[in-house]
Amino acid sequence: MKAFLAIIRKELLEFLRSYGLLIVVLYSFTLDVYIAGNGINLDARNVSVGVIDYSPGFISNKILSDLHYPQFQEPVFFTSQEKLNLAIRNKEIMVGIVFESDFEKRYHTGNNPVLNLLLDSTASTQSYLALNYIRHILMRFQDTSSLAPAEIQIHKLFNPNTSYSHFMALSEFLSIITLLAVILTAAVFVKEKENGTWDIMLLMPTDAKAVILAKSLSQVIIVMVGTFVCVGTVLFGIFDLPINGSLAAFMLLTFFYAFTSAGIGLFIASVSRNIMQVAQLSVLIMMPLIFLSGAWTPVYAMHPILECLSIISPLRYYIQGSESVFFRGTALIDLWEYFAGVIVLGGVMFWYGFRKIGKLF
Amino acid sequence: MNRLQVRKVSVTYRKKTGLKPVSLEATGGEIVGLIGADGAGKSSLMHAIAGAKSFDGEIKFDNHIYSSPKEAEKVKGSIGLMPQGLGLILYEQLSVNEHLDFFADIRGIRQDSAFKTYRERLLHMAGLSDFTERQAGKLSGGMMQKLALICTLLHRPKLLLLDEPTTGVDPLSRMELWDILNDIIAKEKTLCIVSTAYMAEATKMDRVFLFEDGEIIDKGKAGELIEKVRPFSYEAAPEPFEKSITIHGYTYSLKPLKLKPKEPTLDAVFFINFIKKYGPIPEISIVHKDRDEDVPATIMEAKGLTKRFGEFVANDHIDMELNRGEILGLLGANGAGKTTFIKMLLGLLPIDDGELFLLGERIKSSDDRQILKAKIGYVSQHFALYKGMSVRENLRYFANMHHIESERISGLIREYANTLGFYRYLDVLPTDLPMGINQRFSVAAAIMHEPVVLFLDEPTSGVDVVARAVFWEMLQRLKDEWNIAILITTHYMSEAEFCDRVVLLRDGKKITDDTVKNLYQIHPDAHNFEDIFLDYYNSN
Repeated sequence: MKAFLAIIRKELLEFLRSYGLLIVVLYSFTLDVYIAGNGINLDARNVSVGVIDYSPGFISNKILSDLHYPQFQEPVFFTSQEKLNLAIRNKEIMVGIVFESDFEKRYHTGNNPVLNLLLDSTASTQSYLALNYIRHILMRFQDTSSLAPAEIQIHKLFNPNTSYSHFMALSEFLSIITLLAVILTAAVFVKEKENGTWDIMLLMPTDAKAVILAKSLSQVIIVMVGTFVCVGTVLFGIFDLPINGSLAAFMLLTFFYAFTSAGIGLFIASVSRNIMQVAQLSVLIMMPLIFLSGAWTPVYAMHPILECLSIISPLRYYIQGSESVFFRGTALIDLWEYFAGVIVLGGVMFWYGFRKIGKLF
Repeated sequence: MNRLQVRKVSVTYRKKTGLKPVSLEATGGEIVGLIGADGAGKSSLMHAIAGAKSFDGEIKFDNHIYSSPKEAEKVKGSIGLMPQGLGLILYEQLSVNEHLDFFADIRGIRQDSAFKTYRERLLHMAGLSDFTERQAGKLSGGMMQKLALICTLLHRPKLLLLDEPTTGVDPLSRMELWDILNDIIAKEKTLCIVSTAYMAEATKMDRVFLFEDGEIIDKGKAGELIEKVRPFSYEAAPEPFEKSITIHGYTYSLKPLKLKPKEPTLDAVFFINFIKKYGPIPEISIVHKDRDEDVPATIMEAKGLTKRFGEFVANDHIDMELNRGEILGLLGANGAGKTTFIKMLLGLLPIDDGELFLLGERIKSSDDRQILKAKIGYVSQHFALYKGMSVRENLRYFANMHHIESERISGLIREYANTLGFYRYLDVLPTDLPMGINQRFSVAAAIMHEPVVLFLDEPTSGVDVVARAVFWEMLQRLKDEWNIAILITTHYMSEAEFCDRVVLLRDGKKITDDTVKNLYQIHPDAHNFEDIFLDYYNSN
């Protein structure tokens, strides 16, 4: 027990003294998550609009006045179709709207008025969203009662503002935990190999199991502290992320998950000779796990084969569990399947990594 | 003429001074030696001259003046630099011939008949004529170094810079390296600057510069330098005098003493310099420990211990015994199998063949070792300790790992730091310490749990003369006070003198195993251990 604590103490000390690593970890848990939450934006924003108006202009101006900030820029008027086409080709304009001369007449007579839209779909998400906005705007100029017998009332659950930043920041943060737990754990072993202290470590009259466990735990502690910092400052402080479930449940899930990642780290440490190899292997192993987890693409939207494979990504359970805690407010008891997923897969991974590195002792 | 003038050249690294301002002059046909420990500034000076490192000051060679690597570009064609490290410039997968072709190509040498003759001559001198198709990775350490040398000589440099070309090379290959050098210099009038950590090689040089702490402490012909310190060297005094150093059978003092004078060696220059600068060496003692007499007389016994790496036999049926109260020196060149043997003893490498007994118990599996670990101390090559922790934190960590009671640890650390003389460095990080201090502190880390046997792997390489002498003194006391068994590996043949018994390894085989006294009796003509080992190398 004494040696166990001595190892944890030593690893934490060494971590705090290696300023480069400390900065990278701090950056990952704060700025990186902030940038992901704030910087990656899939919303339609500041869409440039070009207009050719051949109609008298009453209705068309009414419609155009609805295209405003933050979704749209002030419409730019063009005098000919060629000029508009050129502007779209040159990426100056994303959405082109052409009002035909008989547009207003047809509108008033109810004779199928036609609005021509030109979209630059190289920015597919943005132009698609812009199209949707314009559709919504046009809906208001239509007598909808003849189309649908009911009025639509929308209630958005769990994330009423459909804010992307909440989702992105959380996803990024969960991926960061994975990556750091893997790399830190692997590095803590491989550094001994690099510095030539590996032999000395092996010759200590301490049980190999205790050494491995203490070293892994020390890095899990670092990740847990980072989690506290990130949740407290960035997620709650800056993004004002709501938490509908219990924070303790999330922390517990994170703790188990950190050990899962540490298990992968142990495996990497057992086959790498230097930090360079750790970095390469980590990326190689982590990327599929993150892709399969549903961090970037929802699991149900994946190819059926990948969807099946995602069952073995512990990050999948961790992400779904965390989102349930934060957004849905799921009670601890109902989180059991996520806990089970993380603990079972994590148990297997940690056991395997433990055995792999144990052979070197 | 190949005339080199170095004017006030100094080298600084981000934090430390590598070399304080140094000036020297030399001309073609001369061998200039730079002698000193690692980190004394020899490599810094060589790299500055070669234009491989930025420096302050000015260097003039071949009528070109340069003060930066960029300006040195024009002289680089006539300079050959062989950096420190065994076969560092070689490519393991390339054969001897391919190496020569490659170096000829990158130097843009025309492969005419004159070059071919020169190339044949070099190959012949290096004794590599019969191995032209062999890959460099499969050559012995000595052969690799000879290949590296002739690759450096291929473009007929006017200035040859060799950074520790002989370190870790077996005595025979070392002689051959010097023969090649002398031959080339006589014929080509090359100016050659060689650095070495072996004092004995000073006699092979025309002039030597002695380096310590980035400074030149003395220069001149080896004979003259020894003459200068002759008045200060005496037979060892039975009792310490004020302001004197008594070590290795000598007493050095600036003040005249009523003692019998003794023929000094070049080492004396370093000791005298030390007295001038710092006064006498601080006394080193060993923490008291009750002798436990129930330790068996034979600590370690190896019978036919063998280690193979694929085809290569690193240790070939080695028998060895290590007794209580004995310093056993395991000597050999780099690649002779010293480290492999120690690693097998410690269980860091599996044993392929043979039997090993530790403290009377046959070792079969790693479980057999678990209990023994508490009785073993180990200092690894380059004193590997945790760089992120201060000396005190390191020691505390090791004490905890060895299950020493918490209340005792602080006192114990203080005691060891005091007796071994590194108390004022307790809160310094190991990377900021002089090598000599690191060496003693890593020994402290290895003996705090009071082992009955201590294994040291090359603990003296890279440590300066004075620190090395102090270190041997410390081991001697440790042996006397604790009655501990010590197994130490070294490639300094001269250090065999300080051991009780010596085992010499060559290419994984044991070639001799005897006490120091007996070895001198068997080889009456030998002046020192270098000669004795040369006998063994020659006879095989």
